[in-house]
Amino acid sequence: MKRLWKTIIVSALVLLTVFAVSGCGTTDENADTGGTTTLTFRIWDTAQKDGMEKIAQAYMEKNPNIKIEVQVTSWDEYWTKLEAGVTSGTAPDIFWMHPNEILEYADAGILADCSSIVDESHYSDNSINLASGSDGTLYGVPKDKDTVGLVYNKELFDAAGVSYPNADWTWDDLTAASEKIYDTTGKYGFMAYADEQLGYWNFVYQAGGYIVDTEAQKAGFEDEATKEALEFYINLQKNDWCPDQNYFAQTSPGDTFFSGNGAMFLEGDWNILSECENNPEMNGKWDVAVLPKCPNPVRGDGRASVSNGLCNATTADGKHKEEAMDFLEFLGSEEAQRIQGESGAAIPAYIGLEQTWVDVFKEKNYDIDVENFIEMFDYAVTSPIDKSRPSWKTAVNAQLLKIYSGSQTYEEGLQNMQDLVDQAMVGY
Amino acid sequence: MNSEAKWGYGLVAPTIIGLLILNIWPFIQTLILSFTNAKKFGSYDFVGLTNYVRMFQSTEFWQATWNSIYFCILTVPVGIILALLLAVFLNSKIKGKVVFRAIYFLPMVVAPVAVAMVWKWMFNSNYGIINDVLGLHIDWLTNPHLAIVSCAVVSIWSSVGYDAVLLLSGLQNVPKTLYEAADLDGATKIQQFFHVTLPMVSPTLFMVIIMRLMSSLKVYDIMYMMISESNPALLDTQSLMYLFYRESFVIGSKGYGSAIVVWTVVLIGIVTALQFWGQKKWVNYDV
Repeated sequence: MKRLWKTIIVSALVLLTVFAVSGCGTTDENADTGGTTTLTFRIWDTAQKDGMEKIAQAYMEKNPNIKIEVQVTSWDEYWTKLEAGVTSGTAPDIFWMHPNEILEYADAGILADCSSIVDESHYSDNSINLASGSDGTLYGVPKDKDTVGLVYNKELFDAAGVSYPNADWTWDDLTAASEKIYDTTGKYGFMAYADEQLGYWNFVYQAGGYIVDTEAQKAGFEDEATKEALEFYINLQKNDWCPDQNYFAQTSPGDTFFSGNGAMFLEGDWNILSECENNPEMNGKWDVAVLPKCPNPVRGDGRASVSNGLCNATTADGKHKEEAMDFLEFLGSEEAQRIQGESGAAIPAYIGLEQTWVDVFKEKNYDIDVENFIEMFDYAVTSPIDKSRPSWKTAVNAQLLKIYSGSQTYEEGLQNMQDLVDQAMVGY
Repeated sequence: MNSEAKWGYGLVAPTIIGLLILNIWPFIQTLILSFTNAKKFGSYDFVGLTNYVRMFQSTEFWQATWNSIYFCILTVPVGIILALLLAVFLNSKIKGKVVFRAIYFLPMVVAPVAVAMVWKWMFNSNYGIINDVLGLHIDWLTNPHLAIVSCAVVSIWSSVGYDAVLLLSGLQNVPKTLYEAADLDGATKIQQFFHVTLPMVSPTLFMVIIMRLMSSLKVYDIMYMMISESNPALLDTQSLMYLFYRESFVIGSKGYGSAIVVWTVVLIGIVTALQFWGQKKWVNYDV
């Protein structure tokens, strides 16, 4: 009798273990019950979850046999997870792609060709470039586009008696205003920190320089214009009115700005809505202007704002590729892009729908001139894309920090940055 | 095999299988990866010892190795002494003993990420409470010499309660008769601590030291949360595991990252072997 009990208990335990081990793989198999197909749609921005769900809702109403699940994964985990998913065949059906990564994914043959489902006439060249692989084929459906603007605190400007930034501002106005604000109010002026799209890239392109030249397989850190712009930008931290890199490693410019301790910083349009929502007491006390231009550019007219854009993509050999492609096509339609704009999630990539995003701010009574972001598309520069970028991004950033901390001279640092990128590009 | 042995194997099988699948097999894969140029999407070529050659020539790597060792030097002795004092204190006859035990154990229950977040605010050199109270302007997190010390403080703070509870269990196993005998022989409290308490608690102490050393050598989460990529003190602070994370997942060279992990395992192995060799001299297993 005792023996029998033992056998029963042990068998139960063994069965439990087997279930526990195999349990991990079962969820996917059951996805197709009752004739409906469940598609997973993975994104990284919580602020855009509602917008994406509204689009999914609109699609599901037309396609009752499809169920779309929006999953949010934090940016830090997103790429680790996506890569693991792609490698092991468990990638989500539809997912956001970033220009930093798309070339590697596209060139490895992982992404499905989207050229047949996108009408390119509805998108700018920037948007198309950012969704294409090295071979020039579209591997994603353009989702949104962005620009960078100069955000400023009206109260600090008023207190210092400085007029607000406008379209005629140059770098000189930026530094003069910063100095005046610091002298009068004791608060920081323009907060220039080591960042790419929200930092020095804009200045480099305004001066007529460049970061990478993919044709020539070379970095642009030896270019005269790049050098001048970087020197100007890095030296901003030598002023009393700009916090140094030690400060920014602990406190973000945004936190400083919204606590009223800094007057200006560069911000991307994609952050503006959540900043309005998170700082209701600041409503009406801050605004956004177009970027100040370079007063004496080596090339060009001194205007630029670095523009990036995401796209939606799917894998080339996904289990539900047909359904995923159909949904992707919908994501690129005017209807879906309009929902995206109206939800305030991001500026639609679809040309002509920019105003839907602007109107959100008016509807919600946020007193901020976000049209300036749209205006800058006229001279927006495509964010530097290069396949080898993931491999040099951190190393270049480390060099930049060494220049900031003074442990390496400006010339040495720039030379190292040039060499790092050049070598990395050869390896790809 | 007799039937009793079969039962034995059957019963440990779930654990052993789990260990093999979840720990041993990934380690073997890591070892293999360390000889490849694995990049993204699982494709790779064997490149022999290239990763190791590159690693041993890299100053960043040696700096990270030293940082890991230095972090142990900073956290282990201080942490263990504090934990032992705390354990003795919690073992004495004071009011509200249970409450104190719970309070000191609390940091262990809080997610390490949350702990690091809160400390990061407190250490903030411009707006943090520590500088505010001290009336100083010290760059706790961005001074290359100080940042690692700040991380060590957080690490000690969050682990001391857990170690103390472990040591407390060791203390409670010391028979009262030993202290009575020592009292009769005229030993002072301090003599009792060094000649009765310490030898009797040494097996637990040994275990705690080993565990603390291993976790200090593997430190990652605290540093990742407190020292961001844009921190000028990054290179002077990052541990081997942080370097591994950045190489493997930020930069994407999995092969090189694997080599760093293998080196870390070797390092921990050496330190642990030294410990087991050294323990014969001071750990007392005769009760």
